[in-house]
Amino acid sequence: MALLEGCNLRKTYRISRSNTVEALRGVDLDIDAGEMVAIMGPSGSGKSTLMHVLGLLHAPDRNGGPAPELAFDGRPVIELGERERTRMRATQMGFVFQSYNLVPSLTALENVMLAGQYAGVPRGRARTDAVEALGWVGLEERRNHRPMEMSGGEQQRVAIARALVNRPKLLLGDEPTGNLDSTRTGEVLAMLRRFNREHGQTVLMVTHDADVGASCDRIIHMRDGRCERSVVNRQPAA
Amino acid sequence: MRLARQLARRKLRTTLTVLGITVGIWALVLFGSMANKINGLVNGASLAYEGKVAVTDASNSTIGLGISPMRITVATEVGAVDGVSAAVPEIQMIYDPNAGNSFGIADTIQGRVAATDARPGETPLSAAEGRLLSARDEGSMVAVFGRTLADKTGARVGAPIEIRGSSFDVVGILEPTSTVPDYVAFVPLSAAQHIFAATLAAPIRAAIPQAELISQVMAYPASGVSVDELAERIEAGVTDVTTVTRADYDKQLGASVGLINSILVGVAVISVIVGGLSVINTMAMSVAERTREIGIKRAIGGSRGRIVRELVIESGVIGLAGGLIGVALGVGVVQLMNEAGRSTGNVLFSFTPLIAIFAVVFSTVLGMLAGMVPAWGASRLDPVQALRHE
Repeated sequence: MALLEGCNLRKTYRISRSNTVEALRGVDLDIDAGEMVAIMGPSGSGKSTLMHVLGLLHAPDRNGGPAPELAFDGRPVIELGERERTRMRATQMGFVFQSYNLVPSLTALENVMLAGQYAGVPRGRARTDAVEALGWVGLEERRNHRPMEMSGGEQQRVAIARALVNRPKLLLGDEPTGNLDSTRTGEVLAMLRRFNREHGQTVLMVTHDADVGASCDRIIHMRDGRCERSVVNRQPAA
Repeated sequence: MRLARQLARRKLRTTLTVLGITVGIWALVLFGSMANKINGLVNGASLAYEGKVAVTDASNSTIGLGISPMRITVATEVGAVDGVSAAVPEIQMIYDPNAGNSFGIADTIQGRVAATDARPGETPLSAAEGRLLSARDEGSMVAVFGRTLADKTGARVGAPIEIRGSSFDVVGILEPTSTVPDYVAFVPLSAAQHIFAATLAAPIRAAIPQAELISQVMAYPASGVSVDELAERIEAGVTDVTTVTRADYDKQLGASVGLINSILVGVAVISVIVGGLSVINTMAMSVAERTREIGIKRAIGGSRGRIVRELVIESGVIGLAGGLIGVALGVGVVQLMNEAGRSTGNVLFSFTPLIAIFAVVFSTVLGMLAGMVPAWGASRLDPVQALRHE
C-alpha cells in the first residue's frame, strides 16, 4: 500500500525578478509503506527539493502544468494549511539531515524530547520516550551530553533517535551519511535498515553515495527535475 | 534550565542587555519613589485644608502659609460671618529663615491656643515622647516638635532649644504622620506672638500690639455650609483678607506637582524603554545567530506559535532579571539616600512595594513585547532557507 503518492509535482523558485529555476518539472512517484528508498541524481537534479516537497516543508506549485497531487497515507495534503502541515511533520514524519542539525544548547536527551514535545506529548512521557529512543541507537549513556561533546557519528545517531521518537510513518533523510566516514556510514545504514526490518519503518533518503543507494530496496534516479528511472534492488522487508 | 543555558551561550550580550533594563528600572524605582514622596507630601499638605478655610491678610502671597501680620480682631470678624462655627487665630512662621531650600514641606512654627482647632478632619496628633500642648501652656515658652523637625534640629524632650532667638523647653515629640505635622514646631500662641513680633519692622510692631498679633485665621464651617460658600462669604464680609481652601491649594499646586511627576516618571519610563530597545537588539541578534536552529525546530514540527513563545519567554526572562536587579539596586539607593538625608530633613524618597511590583511587571512585559518583534520574524522563516543558513 502506498504511503506517499505524488503526481505532477512541480516546484519553481524565483531567484530574482526575471530569473526562475524549475527545480521539479512534473514528478510522479509512489513510495510504499515499509520501503527503504534512495533518491539519487547529480547536483541540481531536484532531489533535495523533492524531499522538501514530500516532507511538507515546501508546497508544490503548478507553473502552467496540471494540478499537482500529493497524498500521505491516503490523505491529500496539497491544500493543507501551514499549521496542519507543521502538525503532520511533528507527528507523522521524522527528519535526519546531513549536518545532524541538533540544537547546540540542548543535551542529547533534550534534543530528542523536543520532537516529542512538538508532537504534543506531555513532558514526562516525552522524556521517557526520549530515553527509550536513545537506547535504540545505543546512546542512553550519553543522554546528558551536548552535541559539541559528541562525535559526528554519535550526533547523527541522536538525530535518528529524534526522528524516530514519535514512531513516525515516514523517515526522511537528506544525505544522512554525507558527513560520515565509511565505518560510521555503515553503522547508520545498518541502524536504519534494522528499524525498517523490525518495525516496518518507511525510509526515504537523498544520497550521492552509490553504496548507500545500493543498500536500499529501490533507487529513484532524478535528472533535470524529473524522475528518470526507478531501479528495484530487492523486495522490501515484509 | 534550558533557558538559562540558552541565555548563558551569549553571556556578555545577555549581561549587557540585563544591565540596560536594570538601569532603566533603577531609575524608575528612584524617580517613582521621589514622585511618590512628593505626592504624599502634597496630599498631606492638601489634607491640612480639608473642611476649613484659611484666612490671611490680602497682601499674603505664600500659598499655604499665612506669614503677613494681622490683628487678632480679624478672627472675631471672621467668627461673626454667617456660617462660621469657629474661627481660630494662628501664627505661622518659617522655622529657620537662614536655612537653604530643602526638598518637600517647609519647616514651620505654628502658634495657636492648644485644642482650639480640634475639629473633625484634623490630622490626629499623638505624642511619641513627652506630651501635647494644652491651653494651660499659654504664656509659657514651650514647644512640641514634629518627628522630622526634631530629628533635624536635635530637639529632645526636657532639653531647651533655641527657636528664632528665643529659648523654648521641648515638652513633647510627635508620632510621625508622614505629612505636615512632622515638619512643625507647635508652640502656644503667646510664644509665637513673641517671636513673630521680633521679626517685624518697627512701624508694624508699633501699629499692632504683640498680644494682638496673628498671621492667619482658620475658619470652620457650620453644618450645612460648604467650604467654598464660606470662603466667598468671608471674602465678602471681611475687608483686606484672602482665603485659601483645599480646592484652591490643589488647583495652585496640583498642576505643578502633576508636571513634576510627569517629568520624573517620564524620564524613568524613557530609560526603561531604551533598555527595552536593547532587548529588541539582543533578541534580533540572537534570532539572526539562531536562524539555523529555528529552521531545525520548524522542520521537526515546531509550530510558529511555539517558536514565538520560546523566544518571547527568553526575552521576558531578560526583562524579569533586569527588573529584579533594578528594583534591588533602587531600593538600596533609596534607603541609603533617605538615611543620609534624615539628619537634614531631606528624605527624598518614599518607596512602596507597589512600586517594586509595578517595576518588575513592567520590565518583564516590556522584555516580552521587545522580544515579540524578532520572534515574530523568526516564526515566519522558511524552514528550508533557515536550515541552509550558516
